[in-house]
Amino acid sequence: MNYLFRTNRVYILLLAALTSCGTTTTIDEFRQGETSLSTEDSVVLLGRRGDSNISADFVECVGNRLASSESAIAIVPEQEFVDAMYPWFEPLNAPQKASQLDGLLNERAVSEKMAELDVRYMIWLSGETERVGSNGTLTCALSPGGAGCFGGGYREYSAEYEARVWDVESRSLVGSLNADGAGTTYVAAVVVPIILPARVEPITCDRLAAQLESFLVGSQ
Amino acid sequence: MTSVRVYQQLATLTLGLLLAACGASTVNVQGQYPVPNVNKLPLTLGVYYDDSLRNYSYIEYSETGAAEYEVNIGQTHLDFFSTVLPGLFENVVVLESAEATSVDEVDAVFIPLIEDFQLALPQKTKLDAYEAWIKYNMRLESKEGEHIADWVVTSYGRTPVGGLRSIGSAINDAGALAMRDLGRSIIDFSNVPEIKSWLERRFNMQIADPIERNPSTGVPGQEPVF
Repeated sequence: MNYLFRTNRVYILLLAALTSCGTTTTIDEFRQGETSLSTEDSVVLLGRRGDSNISADFVECVGNRLASSESAIAIVPEQEFVDAMYPWFEPLNAPQKASQLDGLLNERAVSEKMAELDVRYMIWLSGETERVGSNGTLTCALSPGGAGCFGGGYREYSAEYEARVWDVESRSLVGSLNADGAGTTYVAAVVVPIILPARVEPITCDRLAAQLESFLVGSQ
Repeated sequence: MTSVRVYQQLATLTLGLLLAACGASTVNVQGQYPVPNVNKLPLTLGVYYDDSLRNYSYIEYSETGAAEYEVNIGQTHLDFFSTVLPGLFENVVVLESAEATSVDEVDAVFIPLIEDFQLALPQKTKLDAYEAWIKYNMRLESKEGEHIADWVVTSYGRTPVGGLRSIGSAINDAGALAMRDLGRSIIDFSNVPEIKSWLERRFNMQIADPIERNPSTGVPGQEPVF
């Protein structure tokens, strides 16, 4: 019984290693100002839509990682913030530069809502994960005698994301981080298909969130 | 005789099913519209929804000229204005007629009208998004029926291709996002030059200049073609 448990554990670890080893990520950080977060402060992550196809899932992923990080950063969910601030943060109406926060926060209703939500940092995320290449063939057949697949192939994915951090208090850009990821998903089948997914997007999300956490709390 | 009747009924049913299959898919646009986070204007606004707004429907045709999608956006406009206007004005009264000038309690009558609607489907544009544009003519009249202002606004909604949702659902999302985008123009109500001078003249209000916002639509290369 113990032997079986140990064997299964080895397989799970091996599979986990194989699925993540196909992905590489690079993070670049550019800091322009000091950052500090008190326990009352919260952070909002917003997807820059219009000129990028960033998915709500990626924005939520980074937010969840920051919330569950060691620093337990308080995150205001994107949709909750956008609805509470309506229509100031709609895709075509949202400020493009940190300096535009000045005028926006002069609107009493906006500054009151921002204070109510305790938003200290606003992080604008842009970018996307794309399939950049693929090759191979996989054929599957179904017959009264059974079913099976034969063949193999791969798909290459590339992720490019940028996070720009605005300090709501000083109404300025305090830094930006770039996260690039690349990976290949392999599929091989001899009767039963085996898929080794690249998991480019979740891994890039993890790394970007870890770097953002250190960026926000690191210079205290 | 009975079998002939059965055959007739079956033929009618089959024809009906075939016609239904050939018809356009209907999309009744629905969305979530929040209350605007702005300082209210101390006015009582009468609002009149013309039948052309209430029943506005757009038909998207295929390249062969067949009706593909019927997009109904009338009801969602009523939902939008009934949420957004009370967030912008102290009081809002829905009028049964544009000539309801006997309604003494209103300061002005607002009449929103849709001038045009456009849809861009990725199957035709080869872009990776569903897009919707709505062009409006907004009108404001005094309670005596005198013209105060007519101004044109456009709104835009875009939703990327992806996921397992249907085309109808993606059209709905693009339409609902265009509706949300309308909020951007509605909050600038008091900065329409004719309205600004009317408010200053009639109510001695000092209207602040609009907040500096994005100079363009923010969507490079994707201007509406009305």
